[in-house]
Order: sequence, then C-alpha cells, then structure tokens
Amino acid sequence: MKKYLFNTILFLFGAALILDSCTKVIDLKLDNAASQLDIEANLTNISGPQTVRLSTNVPFSNINTYPPVTGATVTIKGQTGKSYTLTEGPQGSYSTSALAGVAGNTYTLNVLAAGQAYSAISTMPATVKMDSLSDENRPLNRPQNGKDQKVITVYYQDPPGVANQYRFILWVNGVQVKSVFSYDDQLTDGRYVTSDLLEQDIDIYAGDIVKVEMQCIDRPVYTYWFTLESQQANNAAGAVAPANPPTNVNPATLGYFSAHTTQTMTLIVK
Amino acid sequence: MNNHHQSRAESLLLWLLRAAASLIFVTLLSGLVRLLITGSFHYDISGMNRLDKVGDAIIGILLPATVLLLFFYYSLSDNSTPLPAYVNVSHIAKVAFKSVAVIFLLLLSFSSSAQNRVTVSGTVKDAATGETLIGASVIIKEIPQTGTATNAYGFYSVSAAPGEYTLVVSYTGYESILQQVSLNKPLTVNISLSAKNQLEEVLIGGNRPNNDQIASPQMGVEKLTMSQINSVPVLLGEKDVLKTISLLPGIKAAGEGNTGFFVRGGASDQNLILLDEATVYNASHLLGFFSTFNSDAIKDVSIYKGGMPAEYGGRLSSVLDIKMLDGNKKDFTVEGGLGLIASRIKVEGPIDSGKGSFLVSARRTYIDLFTKAAKDSVVKGSSLYFYDINAKGNYHFDDRNALFISGYFGHDDIGLKNTFGTNWGNATGTIRFNHIFNNRLFSNTSLIYSNYHYQVQSFLTNDDFAATSKITDLNFKEDLQYSLSNTHTLKFGLNILHHTIAPGNISSSETSSVNNKSVEERYGFENALYVSDEWKASEKLTVLYGLRLSGVALLGPGTFSTYAASGNTVSSQTYSSGQLVKNYVNLEPRFSASYQLNDENSIKASYNRNTQNIHLLNNSTSSTPTDLYVLSSNNIKPEIVDQISTGWFKNFHDNLFEFSAEIYYKWLQNQIDYKGGANLIANQDVESQLTYGSGRAYGLELYLKKKYGRFNGWISYTLSRTEDKFSAINNNSYFPASQDRTHDFSAVGIYKLNKRWTLSGTFIYNTGNAVSYPTGKYSTGGLTTFSYSGRNGYREPANNRLDLGATLEGKEHKRYHSSWTFSIYNVYGHWDPYTITFRDSKTVPNTTEAVETSLFPKPIPSVTWNFKF
Repeated sequence: MKKYLFNTILFLFGAALILDSCTKVIDLKLDNAASQLDIEANLTNISGPQTVRLSTNVPFSNINTYPPVTGATVTIKGQTGKSYTLTEGPQGSYSTSALAGVAGNTYTLNVLAAGQAYSAISTMPATVKMDSLSDENRPLNRPQNGKDQKVITVYYQDPPGVANQYRFILWVNGVQVKSVFSYDDQLTDGRYVTSDLLEQDIDIYAGDIVKVEMQCIDRPVYTYWFTLESQQANNAAGAVAPANPPTNVNPATLGYFSAHTTQTMTLIVK
Repeated sequence: MNNHHQSRAESLLLWLLRAAASLIFVTLLSGLVRLLITGSFHYDISGMNRLDKVGDAIIGILLPATVLLLFFYYSLSDNSTPLPAYVNVSHIAKVAFKSVAVIFLLLLSFSSSAQNRVTVSGTVKDAATGETLIGASVIIKEIPQTGTATNAYGFYSVSAAPGEYTLVVSYTGYESILQQVSLNKPLTVNISLSAKNQLEEVLIGGNRPNNDQIASPQMGVEKLTMSQINSVPVLLGEKDVLKTISLLPGIKAAGEGNTGFFVRGGASDQNLILLDEATVYNASHLLGFFSTFNSDAIKDVSIYKGGMPAEYGGRLSSVLDIKMLDGNKKDFTVEGGLGLIASRIKVEGPIDSGKGSFLVSARRTYIDLFTKAAKDSVVKGSSLYFYDINAKGNYHFDDRNALFISGYFGHDDIGLKNTFGTNWGNATGTIRFNHIFNNRLFSNTSLIYSNYHYQVQSFLTNDDFAATSKITDLNFKEDLQYSLSNTHTLKFGLNILHHTIAPGNISSSETSSVNNKSVEERYGFENALYVSDEWKASEKLTVLYGLRLSGVALLGPGTFSTYAASGNTVSSQTYSSGQLVKNYVNLEPRFSASYQLNDENSIKASYNRNTQNIHLLNNSTSSTPTDLYVLSSNNIKPEIVDQISTGWFKNFHDNLFEFSAEIYYKWLQNQIDYKGGANLIANQDVESQLTYGSGRAYGLELYLKKKYGRFNGWISYTLSRTEDKFSAINNNSYFPASQDRTHDFSAVGIYKLNKRWTLSGTFIYNTGNAVSYPTGKYSTGGLTTFSYSGRNGYREPANNRLDLGATLEGKEHKRYHSSWTFSIYNVYGHWDPYTITFRDSKTVPNTTEAVETSLFPKPIPSVTWNFKF
C-alpha cells in the first residue's frame, strides 16, 4: 500500500499546486534512437493462445504504429524442460495454444531475432483471488452535470507470509485506461486489501461498464511495471527521472517476459 | 575482510597505545586550555565569581573530558567491521595529535611576545535597539593592519603596545565611530552605532564604507542585509531569505514550487542550513513555495560557497548561517503585516531594564479561510496552511557572561476532505552560554535540539493509516575564539551531535488494508574537532587556515544488512544497543588566503575538503515533505568534496562598488542516486535501492554590486557545469546533473524615489534544467511507452522572469508607523517550465505530444500592509 502513500501525496499536491496551473502543447526536437527490439511476452494460467509480440520502437514524431519483427524463432521452455515453439501469425505476433502456465513453475523465454539471441526467466506466482469490485465517488470528485465522478476499487485477501505482487488493468466501456497499476504487499501482507485504481485519464460516471483484469506477477515483472508507473506523466508531484525500466530480458532490450495468473471482473457503475 | 586477524594481545597493546596517546593529547590540551584562560599554567580560581567558575569549568574540564571520550570512541574498532584501509584511525590520530602539538608550541612562542601588548575588547551594538552587530569592522587607526571584525555575538578584541589610540568602528549601513582609547591596562569598550538614513548619506573621506571584501581572507562567502532582503520583490509578497540568496552568483534556485537551492553545482541536501546554530532539515513551507525563515525574526544571513571556515562542517556544498534577532533592548515594540496569503506579528522588548531582551515572532497563512468559503466541494473540504513561531530571549549577567535561548517551531498541514492529509514541520531549540574568560578568549557553549517530522494520513474506510517519519538531533558545541596577537586569531572547538532517525512507522486500524509497520530506528554520532587560525602574515597577505577532524559512528541496536550492487542482501548482522556498526573518520583541511594588491584590489585562493555523513533520500523531482535521512553506513560511504577556487576582488569609487570574479573546481566522491523503481518509503532495505558514483563541478562567477546610495543593487552571472558519473547510469560516462545550469543571470535594483516611495525590481535568466526526453516510443501493456537513450541529455526551455515591487512608507505618526508593499511577480507572464511531459495526443489520434506545465504563467500581483507600534 505504499502506492497509497504515493498517491496520497500526488493527489494532494495535485489539489494544492496543479489545480489552476497551466499546460500547453509544445514542439520539441528529439533525437531518434528507433529500431530497438521490443519484446512483449505474456504467459498466463489460462489455456488458449500464449502470445509473444515482437516489434521495434519508432521516433517520437511518428504515428503510434510499431513495425513488427518477423521471421524470429520464439520458444518457451517449461520447468520440466519441455520446450514449446511459438508460430508467427499475424506478423510479429508469435503464439502457441499448447501451453498453459502452472502456478509455481518457472518458464524460460528464448527469442532469436535478426541473429541476436535473447532469453528471459519468469516464475508464475500462485493465484490470489480477486474478491470484488466497487465504485465510489472519487476523492477529488468534481460532479459534471450533476453526475459524480467515480473511482473503481478492487478487493482481495492478500495471503499472509508470502510476498505477492499484483498488476491491474482497467477498461472503461472497452477502452483501456492509460495508467499502470502495480502493487506489492510490503505494507499489506496478510490483509484484506482495498486498492483504489486512481487514474486521471478517463472520467467514470454511473452507467459506464468497467472491466478489471488482475494479474499476479513475480518480483522482477513488478519492478518493471512499478518503474513505469512511477515515471507516469500524471504524477503531479513530478515523476522520478525517466529511463527504460529494468527488464528481465537478457541482453537488455525494451519489454519484458511475464508469467502471471489472470482473472477479470466486470461492473456496471451505479 | 582482507585484514589479517589480530591476536588478543596485539589488539590490547594497540588499545593501550591509543589510550596513552589520548591521555597525552588530553593533558596537552588541558595545559593549552589553562594557558589560554590564565596566560600561565598556574590556575587560580580564588578571585573568580561563580559564573566564571562555571564557565571555566565547562572549558577546562568538560572539553578535555569530551575529547577523551570522543577519542576513545574512534579508537574502538570492532573486529567484525574492520575499517577500510583508507581510513586509518591511528594515522589520523597522529596527524591530529601533531597538529595540536604544533599549535600548542606556536602558542607558547606567541604568548611571550604577547606579554607587552594590551588588549581592548567589547561589544558593538545598534544604538536604537541594542541588537549586537555581527561582522562590524574594528580597526586601530594608527596601526591600519590591526583590523578585526566582531563575531557572531558582536564581540571584538584587538591588542597593541601601550599607548593612545583611535578605534575606528564601522558597519554597513551605519555611521562609523571614532573612539579614543588609552591602552595602559586591558580595557572593555562597548560601542553603539546609529543606522544611517540612506537618502542623506554622503560619502566623505574619513567615513567611507569599509573594504572588507578586499581585506578579508575569506572567499566564497555572500552576506545579505535584511534591508536588501526586504526590498526584493517576491511571489505573493512574502519576503524570503532563500529566494533572495538565489539571486547571488553561484547560487541557483531549484525553480518555482521549490525552495531548494543549489550552490556551485551541489544538490540541495548538500547545504547546511543553520538557524541559530540548529540544523533545519526541511526549509520549505507549502511544498516549497515559501521558506521556513520568517524574515521579521532574522538579523544576519551569510552563505559560504567555498573556502568553508573550519568551524563549519557536515555538508558538501554550502553553509547557510542564519542568525535570529536578539530582541530590542531599549523599547517594547510590536510590528507586523497583513498580506494576501499570510499575516505576521512580532513583539520584542527589554528584560530587566536592558540586561536582556526577548523577541517573539509568528506567521500564519490563511488560504484555508478562502478555501472554506469556496463553492467547489473539493476545495472547500481541504486544509492548506502553515504557521511558524520564532522566539528568543537573552540575558547578560554581566559583561562577561550571557545566556541566549532561542527556538523555532513550524508546521504545515495539507488535507483533503476526509480522505488524505499530510503535515510536517521543523522544531529547533538552542541554548547558548557566552563566556568571556579574558579580553582575548571568547567562548560559546551551545546545546542544540533539532527535529524534523512528517506524517501522511489516510482517513478512508478500510484504507486508513498514518505513516510517520522523523529525525531528531541533540548537539553539543563548544566554540572558542582566542586573539593570540594582532596577527593571529585562533578559533577552535568541538561538536558532538547525536542523531535519532525513525525512518518510518505505519499505524492502522484492524480493518485497514495496511499493516502496522515499524522500520528500525537508527542512531549515530557525528563528531568533530576543529582548529583554525586567521594569520595576518603581512600588511598584504592574510591567511585563514585550519583543520577539521570529523567522524561518524553508526550504532546499534538493530539488524544491519550489506547489499550487493544488484540490491541483494549479502550479509546481515544484528547489533546490540550502543554497539558500533560502522565508523568513518575524515580529516578536512581548510585553507584560504588573500593578497591585497592595493587598497582597491585583492586576489584570493582557497582549498577545502568537506565531508557529509547524513544523506537525504528523495527521488521525486519536486520538493515533497517525504524526506528520508540516512547516515553513512556499512553501505553508504561519506560523501567527499575537494574544492579549489580563486578570485579577483575589486572595489572602486571609494568602495561604493564591489566587483568580484571567482572560478572554482570541485571533485565529488561517493555521490548517491537511485535504482530504477526505487521504493524509499517505509522500506527496511532502503539502502539496497541506492547506487553510487562521482561528480565534478566547475564554473565562473561574476558579481558587480553597488552597495549604497539612492540606487543600489547588483548584477550576477554564473557560467558553470555540473556532471555526475554512475556506473549504473549512462554507461558510466559523465552526464549533466539535473541542477546543472550553463548560464545563470540575475539583476536586482532598488531605488529610493523619495522619502515615501522605494521601487525595486529583479530580473532573472537561466538555462533550463537538464532532463531526459524520450528518443523513441513503443507499446507495452497496451500503453504508449517512451524509450530513453541516456540521462539528462536535453534541456528544458530557458527560464526568465521580471518581478517588480514598491514600498510606500506611511506618513509619520507619533505612536505608530505603517507601510504598504506592492509587488508583481512574473510581470510579462513568461512560461517557466515546471514539468515537461509526454503523452498520447488529445487532439490528433494515434500520435504523441509534449506538454509543458507552468505554475505561474501569468503576472501575480500582491499587496501587504505593515505596521509598527
């Protein structure tokens, strides 16, 4: 719940400082270090296609379309040593349906792309059950046309005595909220946890349909997401100095390999 | 652990040797002390009054005793934590021992030559209020090279062969005084100076302003008078010491929304901020918009950027020494001001018909009164205020003994409608005892308390908690000043500082998501011994040289882990209460010299080494109250800086103008940065989140100042570079530190239009902060994410701003006086970048954009009404 400490401060600062500050879009000349490989590899506990997406980054001034990396060799090896080869299709997207992750097992990703070999290891943690979702008025609620702004809250029982890390993804009416939500249990071990998904991207009102995915992730993957989160631009207090987050891929490149359990819940906001 | 294991007998022998060395050291020292007090080794207390006995006992017994303790302390070295090879305790002890012995011998030789000299000493005060004047110049007219300056308590001491002399006493902004003295026996001459009316000021030959800047060996120091600070226009009309010093060369403001400042490339936690000798840990109110210093209560502000005198230590970059007013010794007065966001009041007056005085000054903002009246429900339910109180009292028992008690208490509170709240504050207290042994030896004994704490609270159901963190210091200081002869003034003393750091405590209810948690408290000592000598080697050459022996000792109880570069725990050991975990000893040489080419020109050079053993951890880019302090430890080595600087100083037009050009170069070791994703809050393993490197800083500072007249002010320009090097960042190559500013320019002008109106203006221009901008983008987890190539490869847009102010003095009244202060901040509405961020475009789909946030891109007017009874 250190996130609360952060969010507390950030939101208070937001209230105190940024409330009436001014923003404008500016033109900046930025260097171009494009064409670096981005590995986005997810392995879940749900049967179905497990997908590894390979692409390269593009200059800041380009449109948000990332060239796929084709013709790569992608394999995921299970704890028993059995290896699964992922097949490409569509371009840059490599998948297999032969594999579903098992909690407690460690998986190795191997990628051979453009003559360079990459590998990453991730351990799938045990599932912690998502209990429920709720909607409440936001702490910084500013009703629009008489409608209260809502915040979505996730409830779960953190298992005592083990280190747990979580990542949440929030969709509002099918649109993903542009925020990273990552939590660990350093301050909440063994508690019944209430996590507010505070965000500043999409205003949520009664009648909206929200969906929340809960991922139980291992420590290196948590560090990846937490680093991204603490660099998020909507930190009113000034984010930490930005840099590429520490990756579990070796040699280091953009992206990550995450073996995680997943579950989703949907709520119609009242 | 590569040291060979010593046998028990060996270590016992070593210990005995150290004990013997310590004993000899202490015997020598107490002999020295006796010599200083009485002029001979024979010590007779029969003719002394009780206070003198107490005072002498403090110096004669307590000082050697504490030195003994300190020494044994450093002699202790636990076999399980061997000192690193480069910290050789016995070597340092030898050096310290030798230097004390040399000084002792020097003293012996000088004391004979001093026999036929007679000393005149006393205190210089303001005639109207009885406030002592710090840094007033006292010169024997007949022997011009005998200049001295009053110390922090207004005390001076000069000596000469018996005869008739004229003392010339002068102080900036005051009428100089010529005082005849017959020096046949030791004399006490107290002097009162009257403030000048600037409008009527005429410069005449015999009464011209002093040329301290030329003559003093001290370099890299800036002093500001309160009248200058009070005339400079500032945001929302709140006069601010910290904002004003950032207009001086080599000192850079951290930017809007931040009272932090950077001195010669140093980080903001590398400044030692002292308020009546007490360390102020967080000098900002309201998230950095205002500083904790209420200028109503301040007498003197000095900032040392280089050539640090040996009596200061503990921080790398600067010492900001702020001294509170003592209180009016002549009259009861009440004064205050009503401003747009804050009001302040000050009461002062004499105690026991002028034997002492007191001062109480308080300030509070009232933005929260407006927020309560607001329509917006979010704003309405929030609290947002700070207050601070300064109080001081002093009592002079007689001409030789005086007691000062001063305190500061400040508190900030920001809260949001039954959801979250945060509050923080500093509290300091200082008790000081001045004792004049004889008219050559001045002593000040201080007992200092300092505390900084913050709390973050959540009031949400199921999510309530209160997280607190605090640091508490207890500090004993003994400072002595001895006028050895006309050419030597010695300063020496010791400092024993105990830290208690409670890094984080979290308490919550049964139903909260958050556990109760308590991060182990940390305890440690920072101790120092120093000696320095200001030596007027010739009429032209003055040298200020000294040594400071500083040490830090981190003590148990607790479990202390050692971390690998990866952050993994290598080993972990539990220590009992008071057990030494880790210590470091550093010897810090200090040297500065001035060579006076003629009356108007001098050149100066200095070298100093400073070390820092308490480190601020805060990886946010702005000023948040969640400051966490850690001591040097088994993981964190002392930060070290070596600085050389040299400069040319010129006064012209009868000292009306001052010009200086200084260059400096600094080497920094053991600098601290954070790993990616560092979590610093309530983290027992916070030291695993750190990474270490080095740095360098160099620059040129130009400064032109018109000191007096209807129009006065200054222009300052700094050209500089500050770079860091971390193996974990930027491929171990140098990158610009975020506080690096290539150009920094400021101009300040104050013009007294007529008897009632004073106009003022400041203009600043500086290169933008060094920042990291993206060099590409990709998608991760469904979000547009930016990729980076290196640290701080870009610059934010340059900042520039014009502020204007005006003061209107009210008509003269018999019983009260009032004035109005008007100011406009950011007159032409420049956008000073607070942050520049990157996001998906809100207007053009599937593209990204850069967004600049500015806090005050519009002119901000303000008005304050001031009164005085």
